Amino acid sequence: MLITLFNAVLILLITWLAYLYFDLREKAMPARERYSQLLGGVSSIVDRLEGYDKAHSSEIAGLSLILGRASGMNDEQLQSLNAAAMLHDVGELLLPRSIMKSNKRLEGDDLELLRTHTLLGELHLKSQIDGLDEVPSLIRWHHERWDGLGYPDNLKGEEIPLAARVLALADAISAMNAQRSYRSRQFVRTDDIVAEVKRLSGMQFDPQLVKNWLAIGNPFEYKPK
Amino acid sequence: MTLRLQSSWLLEAVSEVATVDSVFFPIIHRFSALNWLSRREFSLSVNAVTASQAMILRAWLDGRNGPFSDKNLQKFNQQIKNPLDLSMNPFRAWKDRWFDRQQLDYLFYWREAAFEIEDEKQREIFWSAVYQIMSCWLSNRAGDMQTVCQPDEIMGLMLNRHGEFIRGREAKIEITNSSLDELEARNACLTVFPLVFADEESSETTLQIIFDAWQNGHDDLELPRRELRVQLRRYQISIERPNDYHIFTKLSSNSQIAAIAWSGADLPPTLYEQELVKPMQKAFEKRYTQSRLLMKAVDRSSDSYDYLLLFY
Repeated sequence: MLITLFNAVLILLITWLAYLYFDLREKAMPARERYSQLLGGVSSIVDRLEGYDKAHSSEIAGLSLILGRASGMNDEQLQSLNAAAMLHDVGELLLPRSIMKSNKRLEGDDLELLRTHTLLGELHLKSQIDGLDEVPSLIRWHHERWDGLGYPDNLKGEEIPLAARVLALADAISAMNAQRSYRSRQFVRTDDIVAEVKRLSGMQFDPQLVKNWLAIGNPFEYKPK
Repeated sequence: MTLRLQSSWLLEAVSEVATVDSVFFPIIHRFSALNWLSRREFSLSVNAVTASQAMILRAWLDGRNGPFSDKNLQKFNQQIKNPLDLSMNPFRAWKDRWFDRQQLDYLFYWREAAFEIEDEKQREIFWSAVYQIMSCWLSNRAGDMQTVCQPDEIMGLMLNRHGEFIRGREAKIEITNSSLDELEARNACLTVFPLVFADEESSETTLQIIFDAWQNGHDDLELPRRELRVQLRRYQISIERPNDYHIFTKLSSNSQIAAIAWSGADLPPTLYEQELVKPMQKAFEKRYTQSRLLMKAVDRSSDSYDYLLLFY
């Protein structure tokens, strides 16, 4: 069975917290601090369960917001981007633990199954919470690539909404510097990460976003203190 | 054309009406948009409006072609150590407009190399890798970013991506290259129409035009642009003027379901409903008794929504 009792309880908890977040957002707009704390709580559960070696979701959210601002996104878009960044991997909780905890690089059917986390995340949030607007769509597209060879829809270039492109770049930068159960850190030195991002400009990443990222004084200033 | 074809959403919506066993695309805007559908357990029939687009569809979606061989990669992807004579390069007029000097040298060399590849299927993979490389170079140029990867390295990367893309893919896809006027309706459960709006030349269309010119060995872009325009003239629709949708009703006449997909921006959904959905419902009413419009929010602040209109 895909969903164990343990997973089901977690999903319910996360759904409830997310519901609280969006409900509160509607009722009390000035209390942004509380919303982001709630979202932070949800995302930290996801990070913990996924076994990340750092606060992955909040790191991505921090970088996404800096990049989004530098790319001219407005407050409404930034709010959706922040929520999507915090919840982007929530679909992974619906996958078997054996896949997520595997210490081997996944291939074949296992890899295909892992790739469904974008769809599962979108479907679950959409079916459980009304009024999320574009947040589920952004979660769906956070693994799309600029050259059209990502997943799940193989969107290409500007077909990928700007917020999803920002999220994809932030996710990749964070992953380059993170340890995974199946591998050690890809790049330890920040210079190597910068070189890799530049190398993949026009293939994996939107060149304009890469340029915006490089223009940020310290491209790693988003790191949580 | 900006179109987010969300295949799993399409199938999910259609499955409430019928079990899909065959899908027909009279036109497709991009090969990779079919990746998800081409891996499902049903037959897929796709028509390409240009010969080069058909070739790219075959190279990336037909698993029978296999990956590009290492032997051919070593033989036909050499590093150019010294600049070539620019006066001999048929694409020299593109210098600093679309490509830089080094890129032009490689485009010249790769075109010559492609003709040396004996096996046609291998040759098509090589051509289609150049298509992807052109896309990368053009988008870096548009974003004012320098391409860091050396051309021979990027060719290796693209062919590697191609190998990954086709892995595990079984060939159940039929690819044709007919003009839309000559194209016949298929006996398919589902016919899908990605909408092409008349007022756009997207970066993807420009890429297609440049690639066609390059493959044919000339630098004139007007000829392939005109050919593409002629192909699409009866299919393209406009939101400002009335459309007869004859080609849509003709090509879906043997299908249980017709699906029309488009991505909207800068116009509110009610406008699309008024100017597009209602006239289409009228055009399709003789063939189908029911219709359903689905929408997904993409960015509400810019009125970006994805639309799916089903007739059954």
